Amino acid sequence: MVIEALVTSVLTVLIPIYVVSFLLYVVRVVKGPTIPDRVLAIDSLGYDLAAFMVVLSILLKSPLMVVSGLALALWVYAFDIYIAKYLEAKEMGE
Amino acid sequence: MIDLVLVVAGLVLISIGVFYDFVGAIGLLRLPNFYTRLHAATAGAIGGAVVPMIGTALVALGADYLGPPRFFLAGAAFASSILLMVLAQAGSHAIARAAYISGEAPREPILHDALKDRGGE
Amino acid sequence: MEVVPISIAAIAALLSVVATYLAVRSRDMLAAVVFSAVQSTAYALIYYVLMAPDIVLVYIPVSVGILPAVAVLLIKKTERYES
Repeated sequence: MVIEALVTSVLTVLIPIYVVSFLLYVVRVVKGPTIPDRVLAIDSLGYDLAAFMVVLSILLKSPLMVVSGLALALWVYAFDIYIAKYLEAKEMGE
Repeated sequence: MIDLVLVVAGLVLISIGVFYDFVGAIGLLRLPNFYTRLHAATAGAIGGAVVPMIGTALVALGADYLGPPRFFLAGAAFASSILLMVLAQAGSHAIARAAYISGEAPREPILHDALKDRGGE
Repeated sequence: MEVVPISIAAIAALLSVVATYLAVRSRDMLAAVVFSAVQSTAYALIYYVLMAPDIVLVYIPVSVGILPAVAVLLIKKTERYES
């Protein structure tokens, strides 16, 4: 019983810091002057959101919800590769 | 007793990850150039995502009020952390190479471009 | 304990409104694809917080994987800037 109270209280304190850093990442996505800045910011946003989903599945007491973090991490990596291939092929193809 | 040790170690790792995440976000917002922001973004991805996942696996092994599915949570979190440790640098390297080759991002505050002296690429 | 998921969902909803507005107003199509990905990620967080992980497992590959792939391919075939 002491373990449950400890985990819940510490994670409830840590959740708002995560949310504030997500807002800072989104500020860089909106402000970013060029395309690679925006892609880099959304890359970090996706990875940290996957970690946030894994942490949140402990706080919500439902351990089977952890799978979506893995899927989000893999597909954000794929999105990164799409934009990188577009930027490279535009210069080398001409 | 070993449960309490595992839970406290995991919570300390999650706190370290939150700190890395916040510092990476501030660095991504304040640094002046794309190639310096790359450093902050990679620190935010590795320190802010891999370390909390390992901490979550430790917490899930220690917290016995979750029942038997907590072993599934621990294994999935550990596998995600190993996979992310490989993928984050690969993605950052790909986008940095694309930005350098296409000249999309300005290289304005620069002292010396060693890659250009070696003949581009 | 009950206020945490609802507040996270509210913040993600506000953020998706901002991302959608910027995606509609943007002149650069590649930036519009990036803003659309931000909106998809915010919706995924909303679905996750409202306890529907199966919808997240379907929504992520469609909206972060396939839609930007098709859009980037289309931009490569046509032109990038809206005149």
